[in-house]
Amino acid sequence: MTQQTYDDELDCSGMNCPLPVLKTKMKIDEMTKGAVLLVSTTDPGSCKDMPAWASRVGHKIVDSGEVDGRFLFYVQKGE
Amino acid sequence: MAQSYSAAELYEWIENGASHIYLDVRNEEDHSRFAVEGPHNIEMRNIPYFDFIEAPEQASSHLDPESSVRVICAKEGSAQFVAEVLESLGFIDVSWLEKGIISWGNLLIPKRIPSPDNYQLWQFNRPGKASCSYGLIHADEMMVFDPSRNIGFYSDFATQRDLTITHVFDTHLQADYISGGPNLAKISQAEYIVHEGDFSGSDIEFRPIVDGERIQFNNSSGPDILCTHSPGHTPGSTTFVIDERFMISGDTVFIVSVGRPDLGRKVVEWAKELYRTLKTRICTLPENLIVLPGHYTDWDLESTDDYLILNDFGTVKRMNEDIYEIDDEDQFVEYIIENMREQPEVYDEIRKVNAGFIDPDEDEQDIMDLGKNECAASHMVS
Ligand SMILES: [Fe+2]
Repeated sequence: MTQQTYDDELDCSGMNCPLPVLKTKMKIDEMTKGAVLLVSTTDPGSCKDMPAWASRVGHKIVDSGEVDGRFLFYVQKGE
Repeated sequence: MAQSYSAAELYEWIENGASHIYLDVRNEEDHSRFAVEGPHNIEMRNIPYFDFIEAPEQASSHLDPESSVRVICAKEGSAQFVAEVLESLGFIDVSWLEKGIISWGNLLIPKRIPSPDNYQLWQFNRPGKASCSYGLIHADEMMVFDPSRNIGFYSDFATQRDLTITHVFDTHLQADYISGGPNLAKISQAEYIVHEGDFSGSDIEFRPIVDGERIQFNNSSGPDILCTHSPGHTPGSTTFVIDERFMISGDTVFIVSVGRPDLGRKVVEWAKELYRTLKTRICTLPENLIVLPGHYTDWDLESTDDYLILNDFGTVKRMNEDIYEIDDEDQFVEYIIENMREQPEVYDEIRKVNAGFIDPDEDEQDIMDLGKNECAASHMVS
C-alpha cells in the first residue's frame, strides 16, 4: 500500500457489518465526485464487502491494505 | 422488530419442506463458497446486504412482500438489518438467523438409529458439512465417533442424559474438518482412540488401535466395537464394527462412492492400499451390516425416509457396482485417477490442527472449518 492523499476520513473501528458499509455510504453521499474517503475498519468481513459494495455502486477503491490490525480503504466517489 | 430464528429451526424448515424464501445477504463470493443446503431443495436468493443499503426498494423488488423471508448473513447484524428494511417496506413475515452462517456450519442434528433395546445408537448429522458423527450409549456410558469441533454439543448431550463419555474415536486423521476428538476426550477424561498409521508423530495423546481388537464399555457388558484397520483413504483409516450389526465406516465406505485415496498426494500407493482393503477387509464383511458413513453428498440417494444417512452393506455394494466390481488393482487405480479432483488448500492446514501441530484461534478455526467436504472418490450423482 502506498501513501495516498484523501479528502476526508471515517473510522469504523469496532463496528460489525452492516455498519462499516452503511456509514461509508452515508459519508460518501455528502462528498463530491472524484473525492477520496479513507475508511478504517476492524471487522474482517469488510475486506470483501467494501470492494464488492464499491464496485456495484460505481465507486473505486484506489488502494487498500492492512495496518496494525486495521483495514484501510481509499474509496473514490464515482457517478 | 423482526424476529430471529436459530440454525436448528432453519434445518427443521428445510427437512419439513417449509415454503420459505431463504435470502443470503452475504457477498457473492462467500455465498458461492458456502451456502445453506439441506435434505430438500430450497428457494435460495443471494442479494448482498449492501444492495439494501444503497437502494432498498430496488433490492427487494424481486421478492414477494407476502412471502415468508428467512434472512441469512455472516454474523447476524446484516441479516437483522435487512430483515428490518424489508419490514419497513411492508413485508409481513421476515426473520433473521441468530449467530449467522457459522452457527449453521456447526449445527448438529441428533437422530436415533434403530438398534436392539439394550443400547442406543445416534447419528449426529452436520448438514453444513454433510458429515456425520456418532454416539453409542450403553447404561450410563457413551462412546463418541468422529466428533466435530462443536464439542459442547456432545458433552451437553451426555450430561442431559446423565452419561459419562468414556471413549472417543476418530476413524482417521480428518482433512476436511477440525476434529473435536482430542478436546472432547480431554474434557471428558476419556480415551482418544485412533490408529497410529495417521497419528504417530503427531502432538496428540492417544491410545493406538490394534487391528482386530474388540473394545468394550467400561462396565464391560453391552455391544463391543471390533476395530478393523482399513487403510486407503488414509494409512490409519479404521472401520468400527458395532455389535456385528453396524459399521462406522468413516471415509472408507460411503453410501455413494468410497473415500478418495489421493488426499495424501501418494495416489497410486494409497489407491492400491484402498483396493486391498476393499477386497480383503471390507467386502468380506457381512452384507447385512448397516453402513454408517462419515460423509454424504446427496440426500436423495443416501438418506432414509427418516433422514438418516445409512443403508445395508449389500445395497451399498449394488449402488456402487462400478467400484466394487473392479477386479484388477491397476484398473482400480485408473478409476481413482480418472475421478480425481483438486483438494481444497485448507485441507493441509486442517490436518495440522488435527495432528496438534498448530492451534489457530477460534475465529480462524471457524473459517477453516466452513465449506463442504471433498472426501468422496467420485461424484457419480447425476
Ligand atoms: Fe476424510
